[in-house]
Amino acid sequence: MFAVLIDQFWSLTIAGVALGFIYVLISLGYTMVYGVLRMINFANSEIFMWGTFGTIITNRDIFHYTQISEPATGLKLGIVLISSLLMSMFVAGLTAVLVEFVAYRRLRAKGTNRLATLISAIGVSICLQEIMRLLTDSRPVGSPRVLEKIILTEVWGANIRLDTVITIIAAAIIYFLLERFIKLSRMGKAIRAVSQNEDAAKLMGVNLNRVITTTFLVGGLATGAASFFYVTVFEYSKYNIGFTMGMAAFTAAVLGGIGNIRGAFFGGLTLGLLEVYASAVLGTQWKAVTVFIVLVLVLLFKPNGLFGEAVQQTRA
Amino acid sequence: MNKNFQRSLAVISAVALAFGAVSASSAQAAVKTYSIAYQGPLSGGEASTGIDEINAVKYAVKLFNAANKGFNIKVVAVDDQGDPAVASVVAPGTGANKKIIGLVGPAYSGATIASLPYYKAGGLPLISPSATRVSLTKSDSPDFGYPVFHRVVATDDKQGPALAKYATKGVSAAKVFVFDDQSAYAVPLRGYVEAAMPKVSGASLVGGGDSVPNTTTDFSPTIAKIKTSGANVVIYTGYYSQAAIFVKQLRDSGSTAVFAGGDGVFNQQFAVLAGAAAEGSRLTGVAGLADVGAKEEAAFKKSMGISSGVYAVESFNAANIFLSGIKAGKTTRAAMLKWVTNYKGVGLGGAVLSFLPNGDIATGGFSGFTITNGLLKNTGPVK
Repeated sequence: MFAVLIDQFWSLTIAGVALGFIYVLISLGYTMVYGVLRMINFANSEIFMWGTFGTIITNRDIFHYTQISEPATGLKLGIVLISSLLMSMFVAGLTAVLVEFVAYRRLRAKGTNRLATLISAIGVSICLQEIMRLLTDSRPVGSPRVLEKIILTEVWGANIRLDTVITIIAAAIIYFLLERFIKLSRMGKAIRAVSQNEDAAKLMGVNLNRVITTTFLVGGLATGAASFFYVTVFEYSKYNIGFTMGMAAFTAAVLGGIGNIRGAFFGGLTLGLLEVYASAVLGTQWKAVTVFIVLVLVLLFKPNGLFGEAVQQTRA
Repeated sequence: MNKNFQRSLAVISAVALAFGAVSASSAQAAVKTYSIAYQGPLSGGEASTGIDEINAVKYAVKLFNAANKGFNIKVVAVDDQGDPAVASVVAPGTGANKKIIGLVGPAYSGATIASLPYYKAGGLPLISPSATRVSLTKSDSPDFGYPVFHRVVATDDKQGPALAKYATKGVSAAKVFVFDDQSAYAVPLRGYVEAAMPKVSGASLVGGGDSVPNTTTDFSPTIAKIKTSGANVVIYTGYYSQAAIFVKQLRDSGSTAVFAGGDGVFNQQFAVLAGAAAEGSRLTGVAGLADVGAKEEAAFKKSMGISSGVYAVESFNAANIFLSGIKAGKTTRAAMLKWVTNYKGVGLGGAVLSFLPNGDIATGGFSGFTITNGLLKNTGPVK
């Protein structure tokens, strides 16, 4: 039963960390909005899905790569990858801001109850998914291979592949930059102020609408970066991938303590590793069962998630 | 405009309309119009299979309409996306539409199971070109499609051994890892493959297999298992869209194991989505129109504007069973069902078409295909 885990431990761990970082970035989209508005942005899963098409379109239609093209190298590789990343972030960021503007802002201004925003979020989510379904005729869309998946080296029997290394390092940098932004920048401080006490923040002259729009934008940008890594690793997207990935990232956010950025980080990584280890030990059919049993157990002992307490303290 | 003028204009219009209707109906009286349906995935990830099949049905109807001037046969397209959940939404309407006297399909086994209650209730005769799940024609199964369900394709209890043999052909001391996508089609097929493996000389099952949800994109745990097991042959019994993602990741991991799949992967789109990683993949499926003859394929392309695809022969033959029934005056569902059940004829490619009492085709088998230069290459029937 544990033979696979022992034999392939490092391969699995690297794969789990890479997947975990994708979860971290998507769960930032959930956790940032929750931290400020105390509301689950259910449309985040579809913002992720839309972001994946940003990368595919850049690779396929702007740089004209096809399934049979040679992968890019050198400077061109850098240009294509950065353009795809920026495009995915742009698409997801823009979608997130539009979602806030169309589905939430007016409801918030009217002071409607939380259930109305919840339904509005689900509605927007379904709309985004259905629009993409119609645009792609419900088909899976393959992304051409831009990055050659070279095996760089072998560490403890595990292949270290270029795409995995790029995903882990770049995602970690993006996470670090975001965390610094929230901690140190003026806007970051305003976001935290609104998160702690909306009324007091308003009295201190914080522009609430601007803070909320920025929160959606930042969450969208993180989610968009995740979309780029997803397509770079899996070279594929489909109108319905958002549900599975969004559900996992939301679980990661809750596991880490929703509303808390550090929680999203550790929740995402834990979930990525847990999924991979559980699939290898028990079989993939047990992946979801294991993940949710662990989630329930964590919530039983730490109802606010692994880092939930920190949120309570900052809010107190 | 004065009132009298308006009134006379109205009268003239009414007379003209009535006259038009009469002349139209008298023109139509000479032509008998009937509808047959096709059900399968016409959109969604599996659409390629359905589009290939419905084109063959349309081709058969086009030939029939051209050869029989007194008939105008229409094809009703029923899109179930190959998904049981969608099938259970579209099947009630199709079952209740009495204008449809026969249905080619459903294409997929899971969708067939979901649709059957409505078609049994409506007495709608079915001939599937590609639903291969064994339970559909097994009398002790809740999925038993009798009396309406028939199929012109062999079943998975025949495909399983064929896939086991074809996947391991020429591989000495084959160590085989088999996994499925948890679907109604893939799980039993995996069972038949695994049951047949000990009978293949030198082959053995390794690693305990896996069962992966069909929404999976990260196959790294399955690949880890394959590597630990030392498998040199990997068989996936699911469908082509997931197979393409998997085989790319398998090759990226450095594995050179033979990749094989059943007729769910047997689709040109598999090679398109997986690119170079699909090269050399071994698939079981049924011979296409081009295998029947270059002349037949050329005629199809000329008529339909595109090349024929997977299950073209089966879909064409299934449609022709209904069309010959219509020609013989079987224009109600009950009469058509009797016609199909007792049908005996020779289909395209010389296949003898007749059904066993449970709805299975009396003869038939699977061929082996290898992806060569991005195309499905028929290597002949698997014996």
